[in-house]
Amino acid sequence: MIKEQSILLDKLESGLDTSSTVRMDAWKMLQEVGLPSKKSESYKYTQITSILEKKANFDLGEQKAFDKRDLYKTSGSHLVIINGVFSKSDSAIENGVLVDTQEVTEGKHDPFSLLNTAFSPEEITIKTEGKVSPIFLYQVNSVGFSNPRIKVSASKSQEISIVEKSINEPNTFANSSISFDLDENSKINYSKIQAYGQESSVHETIFAKQLRDSRFYSNVFTFSGGLVRNNITISLEDENCEGYMNGLYILDGKSHVDNNTSVDHLKPNSYSNELYKGILDEKSTGVFNGKIYVRPDAQKTNAFQTNNNILLSDDASIHTKPQLEIWADDVKCSHGCTSGQLDEDAIFYLRSRGISEKNAKAMILNAYAAEATSHIPVPELKEEVEQLISNKLI
Amino acid sequence: MLQIKNLHASIEDKQILKGINLEVKAGEVHAIMGPNGSGKSTLASVLAGKESYEVTEGEVLFEEKDILDLSPEDRARLGIFLAFQYPIEIPGVTTTNFLKTALNQVRESRGEKALDAVNFLKMMKEKMKLVEIDQSLLSRSLNEGFSGGEKKRNEIFQMAMLEPKLSILDETDSGLDIDALKIVANGVNTLKSSSTATIVVTHYQRLLDYIVPDFVHVLYNGRIVKSGDKSLAFELEEKGYDWIKADVAETV
Repeated sequence: MIKEQSILLDKLESGLDTSSTVRMDAWKMLQEVGLPSKKSESYKYTQITSILEKKANFDLGEQKAFDKRDLYKTSGSHLVIINGVFSKSDSAIENGVLVDTQEVTEGKHDPFSLLNTAFSPEEITIKTEGKVSPIFLYQVNSVGFSNPRIKVSASKSQEISIVEKSINEPNTFANSSISFDLDENSKINYSKIQAYGQESSVHETIFAKQLRDSRFYSNVFTFSGGLVRNNITISLEDENCEGYMNGLYILDGKSHVDNNTSVDHLKPNSYSNELYKGILDEKSTGVFNGKIYVRPDAQKTNAFQTNNNILLSDDASIHTKPQLEIWADDVKCSHGCTSGQLDEDAIFYLRSRGISEKNAKAMILNAYAAEATSHIPVPELKEEVEQLISNKLI
Repeated sequence: MLQIKNLHASIEDKQILKGINLEVKAGEVHAIMGPNGSGKSTLASVLAGKESYEVTEGEVLFEEKDILDLSPEDRARLGIFLAFQYPIEIPGVTTTNFLKTALNQVRESRGEKALDAVNFLKMMKEKMKLVEIDQSLLSRSLNEGFSGGEKKRNEIFQMAMLEPKLSILDETDSGLDIDALKIVANGVNTLKSSSTATIVVTHYQRLLDYIVPDFVHVLYNGRIVKSGDKSLAFELEEKGYDWIKADVAETV
């Protein structure tokens, strides 16, 4: 194992609960696979291990109380999670929403999921019965290294909207994992706002597993963060599923945001659509990797993927890589990515009508960003996202 | 209203305008004609303030004020309007939204109050008639998927809404069939008054049957080489531009 990794892992090992087989197994497996190194293809542009080594203060152990001003002022269930621990006293849960905690179960086998399994304090499970209002998740991450683990299950024909907001302290590293189980004919709409400080590092794993006739939407809006890595996977495990991934990243400063996404079509007649849009200013860096797998059984698959980028500064950069792997022969798939500057002719056109340069740019960028916000189910969130977009662009 | 003195302009070190002199008074219509590549569109863009062109010499006075250092939006707010030869398509921005922003920014700069939704709509309805433009077009993304004729009508509609003092029509006739041409010309004529002026940039005499100019200037190789009244346009239509080129060659 390379040096920086062993330092990091040594540091972490002292916090390990050696009595849990699930955790010890994950830890052993992590020793074998190692943390991503410079040579790891899927972390090529995001040197996460060395950034963590430099930036995150793993000794920081401060607990921070939840600030009630962060609550959305709307009906629904409000769940507060502090450093990965569900805080019942801060939460307000409506009838039909069942929240429980349990010992961590086995997770995925990529390095950060293994880390999460080894160190997550508990697994928070969310289920619903009947018709329920949106569920708001508030994550406060104030200790140096936190590993929240959340599992959402939608049983047959259930519909759940989830909005998540994280409040992360500087010099912390949050390695969160949220997974979704969608039973037949269910629907989950998950939206997440990522507006972190320049000194916060975040690794987020989002995983959805879909059964027949289910629909899953993920909407991830990233406005800032020192290091943000999102691993999003949708696994379409049965027929007639629909999976949507929408993302918007509007970055400045030295923000580094890496969206690593994949959609896996395993059975026939399913549909997926992915749209990621970026606006990058100053010295920010964006990374987009979109994989679509169409397995041999998945005939009549429709899978689409788009990634568009606008670079506003010479120092901003984007690395984008779409990837299609198709083993079935009767499918409709497309992918495309673009990156470019703001259209000067369009700006001149608006300005020639009396609109200031600033407003002209904001108008064009707002219109460009709007497409990625079309699937937000909760009006309060839509307003917040639009406000955050405007704040960034005007 | 407008005085252009010895205007030189270049793009990427290529000299396009090589000393233009022109005076336009309120109430007048000037036509600028000339063969392709003579600098007509450059002149229109330079007047509107397009930054990719560099003015290397000369001055442009609008109502006695030098405008060359002004931004495009400041020129628009003073009352200069350019109808684009190729109107830009802007996805996601509706014409209505865009015009409301534009109009209110122009009004604000003049110390006027912003128009509320009701009055804006009322004004829009009135001006829509002028160019026979449909409401449904205006709630769509600006120029996106518009036909050539729709784009040009939208330009004149914007002009009607913004009520400029000086309108510059850059090849507004290109790509128009005769019916659309009449509608556009009719709009321009209705908006004309003794306190406004129009510069019509065109390659062909055809538009000038409908928007009758007081003066016709021929631009060739970055200079105005001949000026006259509307009969000059007929002469050009009849003989083409070659005799002008020959004339210029002789005098050089």
